[in-house]
Amino acid sequence: MFRHNTLRYTALVLLAAGALFQAFTAEYFGLEILTEILILAMLVLALDIVAGFGGMVSLCHGALMGVGAYAYAILSTKAGIAPPVAMAGSIALTGAAAWVIGAIGSRSHGIYFIMATLAFGQMAYSYVFEAPIFGGDDGLGGISRLDLSVIGVDLNDSRSFALFCLAILGAVYGASVLILRSGLGRSLTGVMHNEQRMRALGLTVWRVKADVFGLSGMIAGLAGALAAQHIMYISPGLLSWTVSGEALVVVILGGLGTLVGPLIGAAAFVVLKHELSSVTTYWHLVVGAILIAVVMSRANGIFGWIESRWGGVFDRRLADATRKQEPEEALNDA
Amino acid sequence: MLETRNLDKSFGAVHVTRNVSLKLERGERRVILGPNGAGKTTLFNQLVGELTPDSGSVHLAGEDVTALPVAKRARRGLSRSYQKNTLFDGLTVEENLGLAAAVHTGNATQLWSDSLAKPEVREIVEEVAEQVNLMPFIHAKVSEISYGVRRQLEVGVALATRPLVLLMDEPTSGVGPEMSKGFHDLLNNLPRDLTMLIIEHDMDLAFDVADTITVLNYGEVVFDGLPDAARGSSLLKEIYLGSWEDA
Ligand SMILES: Nc1ncnc2c1ncn2[C@@H]1O[C@H](COP(=O)(O)OP(=O)(O)OP(=O)(O)O)[C@@H](O)[C@H]1O
Ligand SMILES: [Mg+2]
Repeated sequence: MFRHNTLRYTALVLLAAGALFQAFTAEYFGLEILTEILILAMLVLALDIVAGFGGMVSLCHGALMGVGAYAYAILSTKAGIAPPVAMAGSIALTGAAAWVIGAIGSRSHGIYFIMATLAFGQMAYSYVFEAPIFGGDDGLGGISRLDLSVIGVDLNDSRSFALFCLAILGAVYGASVLILRSGLGRSLTGVMHNEQRMRALGLTVWRVKADVFGLSGMIAGLAGALAAQHIMYISPGLLSWTVSGEALVVVILGGLGTLVGPLIGAAAFVVLKHELSSVTTYWHLVVGAILIAVVMSRANGIFGWIESRWGGVFDRRLADATRKQEPEEALNDA
Repeated sequence: MLETRNLDKSFGAVHVTRNVSLKLERGERRVILGPNGAGKTTLFNQLVGELTPDSGSVHLAGEDVTALPVAKRARRGLSRSYQKNTLFDGLTVEENLGLAAAVHTGNATQLWSDSLAKPEVREIVEEVAEQVNLMPFIHAKVSEISYGVRRQLEVGVALATRPLVLLMDEPTSGVGPEMSKGFHDLLNNLPRDLTMLIIEHDMDLAFDVADTITVLNYGEVVFDGLPDAARGSSLLKEIYLGSWEDA
């Protein structure tokens, strides 16, 4: 189950302050980067819920985001549905698709689950690529943003759109915490720890997995609908499995199962990408090297490393827990 | 309350359960004795549905549950603890019990509320914590409590589903004799209508709690009767003095 602690709150406040500062001071290019970070942050929160708290490592979250983006684009342009309704529709549709994937995948674990999700993602990718309604390789353009003029906000303005995404990210974070702290979220933690025991207690394990995967899919769908509005043009590349892979890299880089870590990971990843790609075309090599360093350090990503180092300064209990863990573990095996 | 009829199971050439028929009345406390590898745990696995028997049937409260999956049997009131701890390590004692109580009260799949905040869940958690003496450790994480206390929690988690029948697989294995004795006193104080099936290694300890005794040897029931009769049985002495000693 997810717990906040002083360090996590501090990190959240710093992240929010940084984002707000950027939103109010940056120029066009800086705002575009900020928005990219915010949307990626929603996607990786969705992924952290299933992978970090449910042990369901998904390689289809990029595709789910793509489903949300295409659903929004089709509903709002071709079907002529009002953008807010189209957005709700795209979230619901992505959630439903994810629920089905979660239900079918619930019986497989580890590498088999990863492969199952990858297969679903590839199916979505090739369908979008081939079906004429989606515009094939050319993608879809002319996607409009939500109209918030009733409250005096013009989302076609980069700054307003970045702030809008920041507000939504805040809501997504809050929702993620609530999901993890609900009865469902607690059961999910139990399932990740010991699925067999939860079943022996009478839990219908597949339902818990499917429900959480569906909720996570809704968040991914929301991120997709916002991504479509952000770029106003979408192409099948959005559903490519590399997007899912990148999201997974960000979650691991930031700190699996910490919620806060993936937010840091998203910021670090996007900034690194833009800074490095202006210097070298081989920026992926650098990101790869950093990922290897993080994994080899055996810390749980950037935030896991920060927590193990400075968590104790803020929280006695955290300090005790990290210190006590090891000798007691040995006893357990006795 | 719980009954098996001609339960039979082999792993390849190893015949681990041989035509086992057991019958537990409501409130009966039966201890299963038997040497290492006698098939005690394998029998439990078939009772709860984690293993499918080759033939024979399992009946719970008069109904044939042989075809029911694990979770459904559990929801009908069959709960078990494991020989090796299966606790939720990063969580507190309270949260461990809460997971089980949430399933029982239908709060385990709720999205709109925290199961552990529900009064009906809290009530079970507190009651079970009292029953198995976990109150002093209620907010401690599993990693912070001793092995013996973890064994108590292992049973506590099973108890928190408010079962009709509680199966315990060597609840005091690896625990010192004093603590084992204390634990059996706890079991004796549980509600009288709870049916219990307890796997126990130590014959003397078995007599603390047993109404009836079943002895398994090579997967076969070699004794089924009252503790006094078991005490006098020469067959038992033979098994006891044989392979049993080293356990
Ligand atoms: N999944 C399995 N596959 C093959 N053989 C198994 C399996 N599970 C148990 N066995 C074998 O079945 C026999 C009975 O094992 P079981 O664990 O039921 O014994 P037990 O009475 O619980 O012993 P102990 O007192 O050591 O716990 C053993 O010979 C064991 O090796
Ligand atoms: Mg055993």
